[in-house]
Amino acid sequence: MSFVSPGSTREEQAELSPERELVVDASAKVAGRSPTQLALARFRRDKLSMVAFVIVAIYVIGAILAPILVKVGVIDPYTPHQNLLDPALGSIPKHNWGISWHHPLGVEPGLGRDVLSRLWYGITFSLLIALAATIVSMVIGTVLGIISGFSRGIVDTLISRLVDLTLSFPQTLMLLALSATGVAMFAKILPGNGASAAPNAVYEILVLGLFGWPAMARLIRGQVLTIREREFIDAARVLGASHGRIYFKEILPNLWAPVLVQFTLVMPLYISAEAALSYLGVGIHPPTPTLGNVLTDSINYSIGDFFFFLFPALLIAIVVLSFNLLGDGLRDALDPKGER
Amino acid sequence: MASNRKKAFAAVAALASASVVLAGCGSSGGSGSNGGSSSTAKASKGGTLTYYIRDALEHTDPQRVYLGRDLSNLNRTVYRRLVSFPASTDPTKATTPVPDLATTTGTSSQGGKVWSFTIKNGVKWQDGKPITCEDFKYGASRVFATDVITGGPNYLLSYLNIPTGKDGLPTYKGPYQKKNNDVASFNKAITCKGQTITYHFKQPWPDFPLAVASLSMMDPYRKDKDQGDKSNYQIFSDGPYEVQGKVDPDKGYTLVRNPNYDPKTDNPAIREANPDKIVYNIGKTGEQITDQLIADSGTDQMAVTDRSIPPSYYTQIVGDVAKRAVNVQSPFVDYLVLNFARMKNPAIRQALNVATDDQGWIDAGGGSKAYDPADSIVNPTVKGYQPNPAFKRPSSGDVAQAKQILAKAGVKTPVNLTFTYESTPTADKQAAALKNTWDKAGFNVTLDGVANSSTYYTNIQQPDQKSDIIWAGWGADWPSAITVTAPLFDSRPNLRSNTNGQDYGRYQSNAFNKLITQAQNASNLADQTKALQKADIQLGKDVAYIPLEIQKFYLLRGSKVTGYMTDAASSMYPDLGPIGVQ
Repeated sequence: MSFVSPGSTREEQAELSPERELVVDASAKVAGRSPTQLALARFRRDKLSMVAFVIVAIYVIGAILAPILVKVGVIDPYTPHQNLLDPALGSIPKHNWGISWHHPLGVEPGLGRDVLSRLWYGITFSLLIALAATIVSMVIGTVLGIISGFSRGIVDTLISRLVDLTLSFPQTLMLLALSATGVAMFAKILPGNGASAAPNAVYEILVLGLFGWPAMARLIRGQVLTIREREFIDAARVLGASHGRIYFKEILPNLWAPVLVQFTLVMPLYISAEAALSYLGVGIHPPTPTLGNVLTDSINYSIGDFFFFLFPALLIAIVVLSFNLLGDGLRDALDPKGER
Repeated sequence: MASNRKKAFAAVAALASASVVLAGCGSSGGSGSNGGSSSTAKASKGGTLTYYIRDALEHTDPQRVYLGRDLSNLNRTVYRRLVSFPASTDPTKATTPVPDLATTTGTSSQGGKVWSFTIKNGVKWQDGKPITCEDFKYGASRVFATDVITGGPNYLLSYLNIPTGKDGLPTYKGPYQKKNNDVASFNKAITCKGQTITYHFKQPWPDFPLAVASLSMMDPYRKDKDQGDKSNYQIFSDGPYEVQGKVDPDKGYTLVRNPNYDPKTDNPAIREANPDKIVYNIGKTGEQITDQLIADSGTDQMAVTDRSIPPSYYTQIVGDVAKRAVNVQSPFVDYLVLNFARMKNPAIRQALNVATDDQGWIDAGGGSKAYDPADSIVNPTVKGYQPNPAFKRPSSGDVAQAKQILAKAGVKTPVNLTFTYESTPTADKQAAALKNTWDKAGFNVTLDGVANSSTYYTNIQQPDQKSDIIWAGWGADWPSAITVTAPLFDSRPNLRSNTNGQDYGRYQSNAFNKLITQAQNASNLADQTKALQKADIQLGKDVAYIPLEIQKFYLLRGSKVTGYMTDAASSMYPDLGPIGVQ
C-alpha cells in the first residue's frame, strides 16, 4: 500500500490506491457516473488539453465566421493596397510591413492584400479541406475496418492486403503526378468554367481521403477483433440480426472513442498536408486564400525579411499542435488504461 | 517566368507560302533608349568563367536554337556567322552587322531579292578543315527538314525561292529525304561559286543581314558531322572555343580553347575570347544562383547568369552587391491577347483595355526594377516602334470610363471572362491585380493559372480553348517590327483547323493582313516600317492585344568578372564577346 500525501485529491488517491477506493467511495456521496461523464471529468482536469480545446474552438468559430465577415466587409482578403508598397524595392511594404490600424498584421508584398484577412479566410478553406478529407478517410476506414475485423477468412485477408497495398503506394508522388489529369477530370464534372477553386479542392480532398484510410481501418479492425467476441454480439447473432445491423448498430456505437481520437489526430495531418500541397503547386488556385497559399506566398520574401513568414507559419503550427494535444488529451480521457 | 522568353514552336503544318511565319522566341534587341551597361574594368586573358543557367538546354544545334541567350552565347564562343553584331553599349552599333565569316556584310540585288556573301580565306572548323560555301549551303538545307530539325526559326521556308507543294510547305524537304525531293529547286535557290554564296528569295528581304546576325539558322554545318536529331546537343565549333567532353543538356558543359581558331580571321569587336575556359552550370534555381552571387565566394566571383534577381531579393542588393548588378530593359514585351472567337463585341474589348491596371501588374511583379511600362507590343528598341494611341490611358486603368463604354453599348454586366496565364506565385498576384480593376469595371474574371510551363504555349494554341484573355510574351527575332506583329497577328499563316499558331486570339482582319503583305513586299526598310506602323495602329483599334510591360533584366555577376556588358547584340543578356575574368 502506498502512502498518500495529504494534498492529493480524492480521485488521485483512488487511482493511486485501489485498495482504498472502497473506503473513499463509502465516505463520499455515491453517484452513478457514465463512462462519458468519467471521461469528460478526466478531460477537464487535463489543463493542457483544455487549452488546446479552447484554441481549436476559436479556430473553428473563426472559420465559420470568416465568410460572413467577408460578406459584410469586415475582413477583405482580396483588395490590393499597392499604395502601401515600394515598387523600387520589389514591391515590399514601405514602412513596418504595412502594419496599421487597418492592417494589424500588415500587408503582403506584391499586391498589398491584408495579411490578417487572408489568414483568417484561409483558415476557413484549410479547415474545410482538412475536415472533408478527414471525413472521407474516417468513413472508408471505419466501414472497412469493421467488416475486416468482424469477418474472418477471405474477406479479412482481402481487406488487410488492400490496406497494405494502399500504405505501400507512394501517395505524395501520385498526388503530384496525377494532379493535372485529376483536376481536369473534376473540372469537367463540376459546374463552373473549370478555372474555379472547386476542382482542385475536390481532387485534394479525395486523394488525401482515399490514401488516408488504411491507418484508420487497421485501428478499427483491432478494436473489432475483441468486440466481436463479446456476448452481446453472440446474442445479436443468435437472434438472427443481419450483418449490416451488427456492423452499424451493435459494433459501431462501441467504437466512437477511437474514432474521435483518430479524428483529432488526422485533422492536423491534413492541415499541414494542405500547406505542403499548396507549396508544391497542386493546392487550391490563388487568389483563394488557404493557410498553405498564404504561407507559400510569404516564403520567397522570408529570405529578405522573416516577418512575412512568421504569422502564416505560426498559425499553422498552433492549429496543428492544438489538434494533436486535443487528440492526446481525448485519448487519455477516453482510455485511462492506455499508455501515454 | 522562364518561358516568358521562350515561345513554343507551332505545328509545321501551320506554314504558309508567302509570309513571315512561325517566329519563335525572341533573340535580339535593337537600337533605342536603353543601350545596355558595361563594367569599367578592362578584360584580361585567362581564367575560368562560370555561367549559371536555371533550365535545361533544349538545343545547341545551330539550326534549332531559338533562345536569345543561347543564340548570343553560341555565337560568341563556338558558332561564327556570315555576319555578326559587335558588342557595344551603343545600341545602333550593337545592331549593325559587321563581317564575321564573310568578307563583307553582303551585297544585294533585284531590290533585296538576291543576297551574296564571300567567305573569308583561312577560316577553319575545329578539326582544321576549311569552312566552305557548301557547308553554308548544307546548313541552310537542314532548315527544310521540318520533321527532324524542329524548334528553330524557319523564315527560310517562306522566303527562299522554292515552289510550294500541296501541303503548303516547300517542295524541298531537306537533306535527309532521298525520294520525292525537289533538290533541283534548292540548288537553284542557293548557289555556290567558289567561296561566294548567293541566296535567291521569293520576295524582297531588305534586312536579311540582320536576320543572319540575329539567328543561327544560316550558320554553316558540316555534312559529315550531321546525325539529324541525334546532333541536337552536338557542338562542332568554328569559333574560339570547343566543347570538352560532351554537352549535358541538364547539367551543362565546359568550353576550352579551339586550337584551330585563328583570331586574325575574326573581329575583336565580336569576340575577344578572354577566358581560357567557360563552364555552363545548369540546374540551380534563380534563388540559389542569386544567393551564391550575393555571397561572391570562390568560383562564384568569376560567375555570371541570365537569371534576373527575384523581387524578394531586391532589399539585399545594396552597397557592394549593387555595384555588381545591372538593371536593363530586355527586348521582351509581355501582352494580353483577347480571344476574338469568344469576345466578339468591340465595346467589351475596348472596356477591358481601358480598365486594365498595368501599373498594378507591374508593381505586383516586383515594381520598377522588374518591368517598364509598355505602350505597344513592339519593343522601343525595335525599328518601327511607335507608341500605339489605343493604349494611351491611365496606367492604373480607368474604371469609370470602362463602365461608361459598357453601359453605352448596352452590355449586360457582369461580363464573365476567364484569364489564362502561366502560374507562378508572382504571376498569381499580378493576375489578381488585373482582376481587381476589371471586376470593378463590370467584368467577372476567373483566374486560370496554368502551372505547367512546358505546355503553356501548346495549350493556348488550341483553337477551342475556353479562355477569353490570354497572357503571352514576345521578343523580336531581329530588330524589325516585321518579326513582331506579322508572326503574331497575321491570320493567314497562323490559323489552321488544329492550331491557332501564334495568333492565340484567332484575330482575323483583312485590313491588317493587307498592310502586312505591303510590308513584306516593300523593297526598302522605310516603306516596310511605315506599313508596319499602320498595321500596329489597326491592331490597337481592334484591341487585338493589350501591352502589359517590357521586362527588365536585373543581373548580378561575380566581383572578378571584367569587361561585363549586357547589350542589344546579346539580347541584353551578358555578352560573352568582351567578357573576361581576373
